[in-house]
Amino acid sequence: MPTREEVLEKLKNGVIQYDEDACKEGANEAIAIGLDANEAIFEGLVAGMEEVGRLFEAQEYFVPEILMCADALYAGLDILKPHCKQMDLGVKGAVVIGTVEGDVHDIGKNLVKMMFDVAGFTVYDLGRDVPLDQFVEEQLRTDSELVCLSAMMTTSMIGMPKVIEKIKARNPNVMIMIGGAPTSKELADKWGADGYAEDASNALKEAIKMVTFLKNLRAEKEAEKKV
Amino acid sequence: METASLKELLSAHGATLVGVGDVTQALTSEIIHLNRAVAIALNRGLGEDTSERLIRLQGLTESWLRERGYRYLSIPPDSDRRRGKFVSRLYKLFSHKTAATCSGLGWVGKNGLVINALYGSKLSWASVLTNAPLIADKPVGSSNCGNCDLCVRYCPSGALTGREWSIEEPYIEIVKYDRCRVLKRSRRLLDDRPNCGLCITICPYSRNGGKVNVNRRVEDMAI
Repeated sequence: MPTREEVLEKLKNGVIQYDEDACKEGANEAIAIGLDANEAIFEGLVAGMEEVGRLFEAQEYFVPEILMCADALYAGLDILKPHCKQMDLGVKGAVVIGTVEGDVHDIGKNLVKMMFDVAGFTVYDLGRDVPLDQFVEEQLRTDSELVCLSAMMTTSMIGMPKVIEKIKARNPNVMIMIGGAPTSKELADKWGADGYAEDASNALKEAIKMVTFLKNLRAEKEAEKKV
Repeated sequence: METASLKELLSAHGATLVGVGDVTQALTSEIIHLNRAVAIALNRGLGEDTSERLIRLQGLTESWLRERGYRYLSIPPDSDRRRGKFVSRLYKLFSHKTAATCSGLGWVGKNGLVINALYGSKLSWASVLTNAPLIADKPVGSSNCGNCDLCVRYCPSGALTGREWSIEEPYIEIVKYDRCRVLKRSRRLLDDRPNCGLCITICPYSRNGGKVNVNRRVEDMAI
């Protein structure tokens, strides 16, 4: 039987070395030795992704590596997810995410989606080239707390304020995040969006930051429990 | 040498052909650091499970590179049909034809497919891009179809223009893909089998079966 440390190391390295098989193996071992699934995700898979973020910033890793690392993370996550206990982190909920009409670029959107998957959100991914009204309808249908809109091009970005307006008109409490190369803090403010991320690499950085935040929060809660 | 040992490994595991190409010229900025392509070809005549076998060979290549600390990006054989992964978005940035021609394993024929002198177009391809400093084979830069235009004349959809491929002119139109697609779609409606493949079977190089080099007059071998 592998030890807890060996399993976590395998998951972490599996993500860093974009080795999907290693991540699957590590995830199955984690379950076999009775490791808490949330711990396996945060101390194994997410720890690996944090290192990937560092490698990316150091220009050791580029876009292909990042994407393959994310695929490896998902290979492990898919196995661990069904074993997760609901985390009591004060964050839970549902998010609607998609790339707006006229735009098929979704790498950044997918990386942001990964963050929500890891954090245990229910993700309603509408995909790419999504008609504007569909965001509004999906938010209503699912009663999601969060809606994320992504666009890579200025021509498709102009659809964003319409969606924001419609959603906020019906339910002002819905948080809306926008992302993609043409977006900015100023535009987010002007259109009444609650947050923004610039591009895939920034999305990744933001995603990792938020996941790290969750990870620390989880560690704190665990520590409190022990006291 | 390392390059030779990788090739031997893949051949020993059933690869029909293995080549290494310097593909620097063909790369977009996202993948520019992966300037060597390992081209792996499998004779489709060997069985039904060509894709699975190619993916296993790719896996071997990945492990080989990983053990030595190199980066890689695998482009699977049926890359156009693989979705749902993060990395599948990048598959369209690189074509197996580039790997095959840059590693000297064939040229792009008048049928728009890679033609290898021994196996014609009966090969399925998989590529692994890497930053490993593998020794590149001599590329093929121009077509070897010569005067043969059997595929052009017999293509049931009239999709082939008859233009000859050359590395110097990457943008000439060899295949009118919309015509090819329309025919395949209508065939699928008839008998649920989308494939035409006449341009593969009619090619004298394909019919050669890997035995000898084509040296006969092509007209003698027409149907």
